[in-house]
Amino acid sequence: MWRGTQPLLWEPRCLGAYDRGVGFNRVTWTPGHDRKPIGASQFRQLARLRRQREARARETAAAHALKGSLMSLAALLGSDVKDPDGRSVGRLSDVVVRWTTRGAYPAVKAIVVKNGKLEVVISARWLEVASPSAVRLRSSRAYARTADRHRDDVALAHDVLDRQVVDADGVQILRPSDIYLAAVGDRIELVGIEVGVGALVRRLGPRRLRGRVRLGRAIDWGAISAFAPPRAGEDRRHGRRLEIAGEAGTGLELDRRAAEVKRLRPSEVQAVLEDAKAKRIGGPS
Amino acid sequence: MSAVDSPGGRAGRRWAKLPRWVAAIFGFFAILGPGLISANAGNDAGGIITYGSAGSQFGYRMLFLMVLITVALVVVQEMCARLGAYTGEGLGALIREQFPLPSGAAAMVLLFIANAGLTVSEFAGIGAAMEIFGVSRYIAVPLALAGIWAVTVFGSYSQAERVFVVMGLVFLAYPIAAFLGHPGAGAVASNLLWPHFLHTKAFLLLAVALIGTTITPYMQFYLTSAVVDKGVTPQTYKSERIDTVNGAILSDVVSIFIIIATAAAIGGTGPLSNVGQAAAALRPVAGEAASQLFAVGLLGAALLAATVVPLSTAYAIAETAGVERSLSRKLREAPLFYGIYTVQLVVGAAVALLPGNAVSLVINAQVLNGFITPVLLTYILILANRRSVLGDAANGPVFRTVATLCVTVVGLLSAVVLVQTVAGWV
Repeated sequence: MWRGTQPLLWEPRCLGAYDRGVGFNRVTWTPGHDRKPIGASQFRQLARLRRQREARARETAAAHALKGSLMSLAALLGSDVKDPDGRSVGRLSDVVVRWTTRGAYPAVKAIVVKNGKLEVVISARWLEVASPSAVRLRSSRAYARTADRHRDDVALAHDVLDRQVVDADGVQILRPSDIYLAAVGDRIELVGIEVGVGALVRRLGPRRLRGRVRLGRAIDWGAISAFAPPRAGEDRRHGRRLEIAGEAGTGLELDRRAAEVKRLRPSEVQAVLEDAKAKRIGGPS
Repeated sequence: MSAVDSPGGRAGRRWAKLPRWVAAIFGFFAILGPGLISANAGNDAGGIITYGSAGSQFGYRMLFLMVLITVALVVVQEMCARLGAYTGEGLGALIREQFPLPSGAAAMVLLFIANAGLTVSEFAGIGAAMEIFGVSRYIAVPLALAGIWAVTVFGSYSQAERVFVVMGLVFLAYPIAAFLGHPGAGAVASNLLWPHFLHTKAFLLLAVALIGTTITPYMQFYLTSAVVDKGVTPQTYKSERIDTVNGAILSDVVSIFIIIATAAAIGGTGPLSNVGQAAAALRPVAGEAASQLFAVGLLGAALLAATVVPLSTAYAIAETAGVERSLSRKLREAPLFYGIYTVQLVVGAAVALLPGNAVSLVINAQVLNGFITPVLLTYILILANRRSVLGDAANGPVFRTVATLCVTVVGLLSAVVLVQTVAGWV
């Protein structure tokens, strides 16, 4: 039995833990009591658990902070688009982003609004996103104009949501169940995609619950910005698949391997968003 | 003629040193592809019991229906193989991409229910086969459940599959039995060429069961995925189409022989009262050992399908959800896939252990499949009609009419029987 006469730090490995400055003694020992010292491995385990707990708390806080600014595309689709007088212009049927490999997050360029059978494209500069599930226009004349589709434009609901994404090896790695947009300054940017069943279940649920963003298995768009839309600008309705049929890729393609795809951490997103805001306010506009 | 031009393509080249006729035979077996395998999966425990029941209850009367079902099966399987070859995606993925999310989810729920019914009937088949050997099903079914789960999750599935397939080959004895059983050639021919339908409830119910077991939804999902896995492209689709059509026809020919053999042996004696009775059809081949032979075949077919059906459900649903789906993944890496697989196996085994008549349980499961088949066929039809999916390979006007007709007829029949069944409960 240990009598309390043994040196506390007899294992050289323990010094490492001290050096790293983990703030508590490795021995839970009170004078006068016979307690066994915690082994070095146990000590490390405890420290790791604590770090995990702290990280989780940090992410939860960041996710809370993001809640207002992060918008789920699945929740936005089908919502009413209103003009300044509050009259309905139509329903949001798609969001078009300008594809770019330079900036971290591609910016929303236009929205597609459907009214009956008529589809109009409204440029993003007319948009005013008040709350995560309501889209307003700045001017009632805005929708009279239609934006023309550029080569690098990608319609998120049509080309990305529920489509497969293949990596550089041609292996299907993800099928986005939801897409997250965030307002950065005066722009709306695509910040991440979510895969998995959670987002699907949310989309199947009642409408008002759909906007509740919980970053589950979300993937940072900044980390996979090398996405390239195959054959943008072609007529997507006729025989697009046919040309690449029999191969894995029918949706988007990555320039990198599946192993390099990174999960989205709320704290990182928050940092990036705040960074971007700060730049926009301080820098040349 | 170069070896590459010979029928069988690559297979012909591989056997090029053999005499030409031997090479031709090898080549024929080498092109046995997904089409044949998946269509033959229709001859599972549920199928054999249903075909046997059709033969014993209505004699040759169901034969014309089987001819019609074969046409529908060819049409449907061809669409599925084409979808797989031209899009490179399974049916689950296509449904996710091409339909609104709620419709896709509904399709998956229906597929799950249909396949759960099938799994029940496979486990009932396992129980019945083991009871012929004198083992209680309360021992056999849990053992089979544990064995299947362990082999697929921890062991080598492909080796087990081979054993099951060889066991199931016993049913090739049916065509021989059908000839040795001296069926009236005239009666068979007239029933094959001309409908001899009865307008009774039992006949309609069994007709839906036959449709459900022959054009099973899971086969379509399996076939599409198998075509994709095989790497068939639009350029190589022609030989795949031949394989698919051959597979559908061959498998239905075996089914028809099962009906003929059973009808010749015990036709007109009413519905099967137990599974062992169906073994009488094999007596012309095996004599006294007919029961044992039948049980071996039934066990093999049932074990194979009890493994494949839940796997295919799990695969299709995980594919639709877009998550990991592979037996090569660890349990924790693919929770949805393994979860659905396990739940379906356990539910299937549990329901199969409920007291009751195994034959009626099996047939009810096939009727359930018959109700769900037309709904899922509609999805397939819509996908194959869309030019946005298949481009120029989409259904042409003639094919579209024929396919629509098939789906409509199947749907109408199911609807009538469904209404009758529900009205019977009220």
